[in-house]
Amino acid sequence: MLILARKPGESIVIDGRITIKILRLDGDVVKVGIEAPTSIPVHRQEVYDEIQKANLEALNQPRLDLPRLSPSKLSSPASINGIKKK
Amino acid sequence: MNTLELMEPETHATKTKEVIQLPLGILGFERVKNYVLLAKPNEEPFLWFQMLEDVKRAFLVIPPHHVLSNYQPDISEQDVEFLDLINPAEALVLNIVTLRGAMKGTVNLRGPIVINRRTLIGKQVIPANAAQYAIQHPLPVS
Repeated sequence: MLILARKPGESIVIDGRITIKILRLDGDVVKVGIEAPTSIPVHRQEVYDEIQKANLEALNQPRLDLPRLSPSKLSSPASINGIKKK
Repeated sequence: MNTLELMEPETHATKTKEVIQLPLGILGFERVKNYVLLAKPNEEPFLWFQMLEDVKRAFLVIPPHHVLSNYQPDISEQDVEFLDLINPAEALVLNIVTLRGAMKGTVNLRGPIVINRRTLIGKQVIPANAAQYAIQHPLPVS
């Protein structure tokens, strides 16, 4: 593993297109800013591991009859946030 | 920040078996980039998100409003840009289901698959507010 010492405000450049900047130290928490092309996924390690594990489990499940869902939730569509109308 | 309404997946897409591309794959299956969404009449609202490269393998998925009425994942700017979502109505959200015995199952609300209906490009995203949702949310079985 390559180990580099950095101070707040300093950065690391990877492959000329990914910049990792140390923003500030707050006790034992380090705030890191990451700039990368949108085609490069960036995830917190533990969240990535958890979702990967869930995906593997979902795909390797035994084929069972599908359960019947209670109809009470059918009326209200879900929504997502973050898309701005241009 | 706008909120958008999600519609039911269009059966048109499933009938014609349009290929949905996930350039980054599903986490853990990064190499598989092409999927089709299949609906079987007696299995609604469940759908199958089937790998095109390996037709024997498919994720069981469900539109999340069948599971949690106020599900509102916050999609990052980067993901909106990656998916080229211009109009909120373009986004189709599906969540992966894991069956856990007879008439039991859980839904991953922390890693939804978001598909742009216009471009048929999708991505498994981790919403900014993922921590407030369960990775094993119980299916509301009757």
